Amino acid sequence: MNVSLDKQYLPSERYKRHAAYLAVLAVVIIGLCSYFKFEPLLFISDFHYMADLVVEMTPPNFEVLWRKEKIFASILQTLSMAFLGTLAGGAVAMGLAFLAARNTTPHPAVGAVIRTLLAIERVIPSLVILLLFLIAVGLGPFAGMLSLAVGTIGMFGKLFANAIEGAEKEPIDAVHSVGASKLQVIRYAVIPQVLPSFIANLFYAFDINLRAAIGLGVFGGAGVGYEISMAMRLVRYRDALALICFTILLVFAVEKLSDWLRSRALGQDLLK
Amino acid sequence: MGANTARLLSFQILARMIDVRQITKSTKEGVPILKGISFTVTKGEFVGILGPSGAGKTLTMRCLNGLTRPTSGEVLFTDHEHNLVNLTHARGRELRKARRQIGVIFQGFNLVKRLSAIDNVMIGQLGRINLLRSLVYGFTDDEARQALAVLEHLNVAHLAHRPVGSLSGGEQQRVAIARAIYQQPAVMLADEPIANLDPTNARKIMQILTPLAKEMPIIGVFHQPDLVMEFCTRIIALKEGVVVRDGDSKMTRSELVDLYGAELSEIEASQRILQPA
Repeated sequence: MNVSLDKQYLPSERYKRHAAYLAVLAVVIIGLCSYFKFEPLLFISDFHYMADLVVEMTPPNFEVLWRKEKIFASILQTLSMAFLGTLAGGAVAMGLAFLAARNTTPHPAVGAVIRTLLAIERVIPSLVILLLFLIAVGLGPFAGMLSLAVGTIGMFGKLFANAIEGAEKEPIDAVHSVGASKLQVIRYAVIPQVLPSFIANLFYAFDINLRAAIGLGVFGGAGVGYEISMAMRLVRYRDALALICFTILLVFAVEKLSDWLRSRALGQDLLK
Repeated sequence: MGANTARLLSFQILARMIDVRQITKSTKEGVPILKGISFTVTKGEFVGILGPSGAGKTLTMRCLNGLTRPTSGEVLFTDHEHNLVNLTHARGRELRKARRQIGVIFQGFNLVKRLSAIDNVMIGQLGRINLLRSLVYGFTDDEARQALAVLEHLNVAHLAHRPVGSLSGGEQQRVAIARAIYQQPAVMLADEPIANLDPTNARKIMQILTPLAKEMPIIGVFHQPDLVMEFCTRIIALKEGVVVRDGDSKMTRSELVDLYGAELSEIEASQRILQPA
């Protein structure tokens, strides 16, 4: 039998290739660590600082949750930032998605422009957007809410447009065939098809935005994120741990609730 | 032209609900699919269009309600107000106005699966109700009662509030027919309305369509020659984009063999398999 295997498919060649990839990756990692002074060993040699911090943080001072009235207001503020940011961003994202989707756009050029704007908007980090809004509307939860809304538009505008483009064509044909206008076709043939996925995605967006709202609060001077950062700066580590524990519980509970609502939305129960 | 002749001519035009004149349709690459289809359909007719796969039956139907524009030729339609509309040239508002009066029953039912049966039926009236009201408010209680009456007529009123995605094929097709009836069309087009149904349901749907044809002409594309011969009043046979037969509803076996070729045995075999024991 005279069958020859191409050199590139020989197992020994494949091993050499993989070894070369790993060597390049190792060089890149070592180069970056040494140039930017990332010292993984510090994590081991200075671990006692972390251990000290844990000792100082325990036991968590849960009294802070009811002793300081401001805490509940700040938790509510974080939830509101995430909720309103998701709602406002989601509403704008839906509107833009209908303009961007190829099967509902009023003109292909409009669709192309909106899709490009969404792509540009997606690559701007939310912290940069927050800094812009801090200048525009000042410190506080409103700047956080606005930056979450803008982030939601970028994140879900394209996703919604894809969902619209994936809508079944047959019901759209049928609604056209009764003499309905384009807007009526969108209202009665497209929206019922895509709404459950929109709602499910918005719950998902709320999950993400809630976590982001805690982080943005540190910089925006609002919400529970700001309270945690203040507790850390004032060396009230036990207060900080209580707040962190409560925040984790809150995020977990909200995630479970939104998971449940999302599955109901996808299962149509919520809509029919 | 004398007054009597003019009256006679207008009468003939009015009696022709659909007048298809030499329509052709080619692919983007220029391959002809429809090669000059002509026929007229008048009140009271239940026309069955038969033909092998790829004969151009569905494309002809799409040209009849303006979902596809023919390459050449004309489709003329007489509406409720006795206006003659050229569907080939109609655009925008004029086309939408004409479509309101052309009911369509699709092979795949084409219902909005997440909406309830009654909501799907009410969609039939979208072309007639105020745009703003339809977008913001939706349908009125009276419209819902009328839609329910149509569902009642088709024995599916008990399914009115179920999402149509959860209904069987036969039930979905009844909802689709209810939508077309509720639309109050002047003419009904049915594109393979029984193709996805078992023989019992297929027969029931034909029994629903037959009396309807007395009120509005029905033009249907079918794959079941036996049911077409039993229920339709006229058969138009298409082959390779050409009308090869236009006449009464009786076709001999040799005519069917000529029309379908080898496909006839497949059709007969599938019908034998589907026949209830």
